[in-house]
Amino acid sequence: MFPKLDPLLHSELRLAVMSILAGVDGAEFSYIKQQTGATSGNLSVQIDKLSAAGYITVEKGFKGKVPCTTCKITKAGLNAFENYVNSLKEYLI
Amino acid sequence: MENNIENKEMTAQQSLNLISEMMNNSRKSILSKNGKHYILWGVLLTIVSFVIYELWHTTGNPNWNLLWLAMPIIGFPMVKVISKKDAEIPQNIISRQISGLWLAYCAFVMVIFVASVFFLKPMQMNLSLIIVLLLGFTECISGIMLKNWTIIISGFILGVGGSFAATLIQSAEQLLMFTIGGLVIMVTGLIVKSQYK
Repeated sequence: MFPKLDPLLHSELRLAVMSILAGVDGAEFSYIKQQTGATSGNLSVQIDKLSAAGYITVEKGFKGKVPCTTCKITKAGLNAFENYVNSLKEYLI
Repeated sequence: MENNIENKEMTAQQSLNLISEMMNNSRKSILSKNGKHYILWGVLLTIVSFVIYELWHTTGNPNWNLLWLAMPIIGFPMVKVISKKDAEIPQNIISRQISGLWLAYCAFVMVIFVASVFFLKPMQMNLSLIIVLLLGFTECISGIMLKNWTIIISGFILGVGGSFAATLIQSAEQLLMFTIGGLVIMVTGLIVKSQYK
């Protein structure tokens, strides 16, 4: 029997965001937007969902006078991501 | 990436492909940033070493070697300027370790340089050999951490070739070895940058 995939991660944009954040200390919104090619509105919605689930933290601040949003993956997010990848492997074996 | 990721669901294979593509893209942008630093330090090393060579060669005064201190004085503020432009590229564990590695190299070189200038008799220590060997070794380790053969090989050439040159060549001409070393680092940076555009 195949394990159930985490529905929060089994969506293209949210998975892309988590994949980026899993490999770095933290990433700015503009960087994630550029890497994924998503629109600001769509990306904001998906980031909010990940944040609400406790998978990432979102810090809003300023870089000089420019607003800057930084996202970081949490321990729970990293565990969920790891479980998700392990489950995917079982689908492919 | 070939863009515009939507919110659609994917097959297991598509998910794994997406994860690997995203991680790879992120790694590429971090490496490209690294390439710029190689170019900067390569250009600086080429210019400073050649200027010191010319001055030493023309005047016969080895004290011009104190101009090496210009490297960190000019280099670090320029790193700050470059880093500001790439501020949105995130750091990861590898980029942090590589920064630490190069800072350790700078610390080693500065202490050995100052110690040899102020506390040791001239020629008691083959300073060029130590500096160039450490430079090549540090570059080689950076390449291993970045899994980049261009950096590994150029580090090896720099360290081993430079050590032979530092042993065989004497006085002001030794500095030309650093000029060539700077060019090697600069070309490495250009290659790395073009590889990860």
